[in-house]
Amino acid sequence: MCEALSSAHERDAFKRDEEAFLSRFGLSDAEKNLVRSRDFKGLIEAGLNIYFMLKLGSATGNSLYRMGAQMRGESYEEFLSTRNIQGAV
Amino acid sequence: MPSVGPVVDRGRQDEPAWKPLFDAYVPVREWLSRLKPDVAIVVYNDHGADFSFDKYPTFALGASDQYAIGDEGFGKRALPEVPGDAEFSIHLCEKLIEAEFDLTVCQELAVEHGFLVPMNLCFPHTSSGWPVKCVPLEVNVIQHPLPTARRCYRLGQALRAAVESYPGEKRVVVLGTGGMSHQLQGRRFGFMNEKFDQWFMDRLESDPESLAALSHHRIMEEAGAEAVELIMWLTMRGALSPGARRVHRHYYAPMTTGMGLISFED
Repeated sequence: MCEALSSAHERDAFKRDEEAFLSRFGLSDAEKNLVRSRDFKGLIEAGLNIYFMLKLGSATGNSLYRMGAQMRGESYEEFLSTRNIQGAV
Repeated sequence: MPSVGPVVDRGRQDEPAWKPLFDAYVPVREWLSRLKPDVAIVVYNDHGADFSFDKYPTFALGASDQYAIGDEGFGKRALPEVPGDAEFSIHLCEKLIEAEFDLTVCQELAVEHGFLVPMNLCFPHTSSGWPVKCVPLEVNVIQHPLPTARRCYRLGQALRAAVESYPGEKRVVVLGTGGMSHQLQGRRFGFMNEKFDQWFMDRLESDPESLAALSHHRIMEEAGAEAVELIMWLTMRGALSPGARRVHRHYYAPMTTGMGLISFED
């Protein structure tokens, strides 16, 4: 599913009708729920490759650092406060 | 790092958070413009832009006169296509496969941040395109099982022999790419280890063969899961003689990835 998001056309299809998009890839209900709830920590634990998750992040407006904060169990601001140079985003 | 692409595209290189990175490459670019290489062999990894897990080669070499700009999920960057050197690539393919590196040969290949960000830093494009022809050499560092560090180092040694056996005259530069310490997944997201990164660069200078013995497990444990990209640096180092002279060295780790720069002349 995430591989498809490497194309602008498919990103549009995802944004237009996420349920229809999700139905095309043989995902289980549990997997669909992880996508629906933007549970990035759960998706990694379910075996999604981080670089393919970045494509889902792009399609859903979640930057790497926002996904990272969620995986750490922190707010975005809390995560940024742990960085050496916060302006390098 | 994918985030460097938009910084270049939006002209943000002089912002305080990014300036240390870009300034470090000023002397590198001056050096490269003096050396005037004919070809840059770029050892990089695809992040699912042109390869997918349906078919993901361990090693792949571009054999085209032109490489398209890929879309890895963030949209295609407005960059000129990258010029290749198919004739030179085919020579490298023949010699590397003869040396028992069974590469996937790609007559079409779209390149992305793993390739383009190092090019942005070392060989910036102008309105007339990129200043050097390229040969992309793709390595699987994103989906296990990965090639070993030693295999990558040996690939570099075979690459040197392949370049040296080319019958014509070519000035060749090899770019080894990939982030130093970083982990982008799970609770340990954002982990970096400057001490490991500096040690790795020290060893790259003085005893690269010892780095070939590193296991993926040790790199991932000490420097983060995605730091395993460092095995691509060993292909670059393997292409140089053990006593190659180090020219530049720099390190900057602002956010989540140790960004190392080290150059050698042989």
